[in-house]
Amino acid sequence: MAMRELIRSRTEIGLWSQLPGWLRWGAMIGLVQIFAMVTVGPLGVSTAYPQFVGFVLDRIFPGFAQDQSYLREIGAQIGWEVMLVFGLFLGAMLAAALSRWRNRSLGLQISVAPVAVKGFTDGKLRRYARAFLGGFLFIFGARLAGGCTTGHILSGLTQMALSGLVFAVAAFGSGMLIAKLFFREPTKE
Amino acid sequence: MDMRLLLGLVTGIGFGFALQRAGFSRCNIVHRGLWLKDFTMLKVMLTAIVVGLVGAHLIGTFAPDLVHFKVKSLYLWGVIVGGLIFGIGIALGGYCPGTALVGLGSGVGEGVSAVLGGLAGALVFIFAYPVLKPVLIEPADLGKVTIPSVFGSPALPTALIVAALLVGVIVGLGRLEQKGASR
Repeated sequence: MAMRELIRSRTEIGLWSQLPGWLRWGAMIGLVQIFAMVTVGPLGVSTAYPQFVGFVLDRIFPGFAQDQSYLREIGAQIGWEVMLVFGLFLGAMLAAALSRWRNRSLGLQISVAPVAVKGFTDGKLRRYARAFLGGFLFIFGARLAGGCTTGHILSGLTQMALSGLVFAVAAFGSGMLIAKLFFREPTKE
Repeated sequence: MDMRLLLGLVTGIGFGFALQRAGFSRCNIVHRGLWLKDFTMLKVMLTAIVVGLVGAHLIGTFAPDLVHFKVKSLYLWGVIVGGLIFGIGIALGGYCPGTALVGLGSGVGEGVSAVLGGLAGALVFIFAYPVLKPVLIEPADLGKVTIPSVFGSPALPTALIVAALLVGVIVGLGRLEQKGASR
């Protein structure tokens, strides 16, 4: 209990906590990017998905990775990319657990405001199915384009790459169109 | 453990922690962003880009051996078509490939579902690649073009100008938000 109070009081002092969240954590992501570029290379996430799939399937069906030209190009191994994605998951879990602990709530459920589709009652199953389809498309699209929000937009614009700019315009364009056409206006929180 | 693997893990933990704290575990944030109701998502990304842009180019100018640049090729058709499909995916899923994992790590059901969908999409892409490559990836490849390479301008000054423009955009978005709130 005393430890909890200490952490809470410590986070409330200093300039750091005076700054808005987007500035603090945005700057932190920028520093992580610099760290990545100094140690190995610019951040990227979406390559890890096919690498991981390739790794698993190559274990189950030996020779799978050799047979697929895409996996020969990107490699079907647990390397820096897959470890980064695994760390991303762990870091998010750590951050979520810490804030739950600080707020003294033990429940695992995080409230998520559902995004509603026009003209439908939005059940849990439907929401999960939509997230699955969304996941399918965002990885397929990202692999076709050669990067995702991280690789193309974050890392791309950090290097002033035109590919990142073109990708960002295309992605936000179609995303905004789909959101306006098929979804109700999102509510606050 | 191999040093690269350890570096990847450490980098990922920092990245995931920051993304979670920035609010990307909730899929609502993407929708509020796409509806232009909430610029949190954009402001986080732009801030990260400004810091990375200035930092990487400062190091790249004064100690080029210390930093690794890896610019992606602009093959027009693949980047545009892929970007359009990607946009549909983030609107439907409420996540992108990185934030889905943040959702998964935060215990949000949609995050789990989106990551599984992503793995399925990756498998289908592996099989589709030989067909897509000659049609969308190889033609109209403009190579690794950057703003300095197009204008023939020196990297660091260009980076500083672009960073200043992006700061302007961030400030502008903040103004827009205030206007929206007072309405």
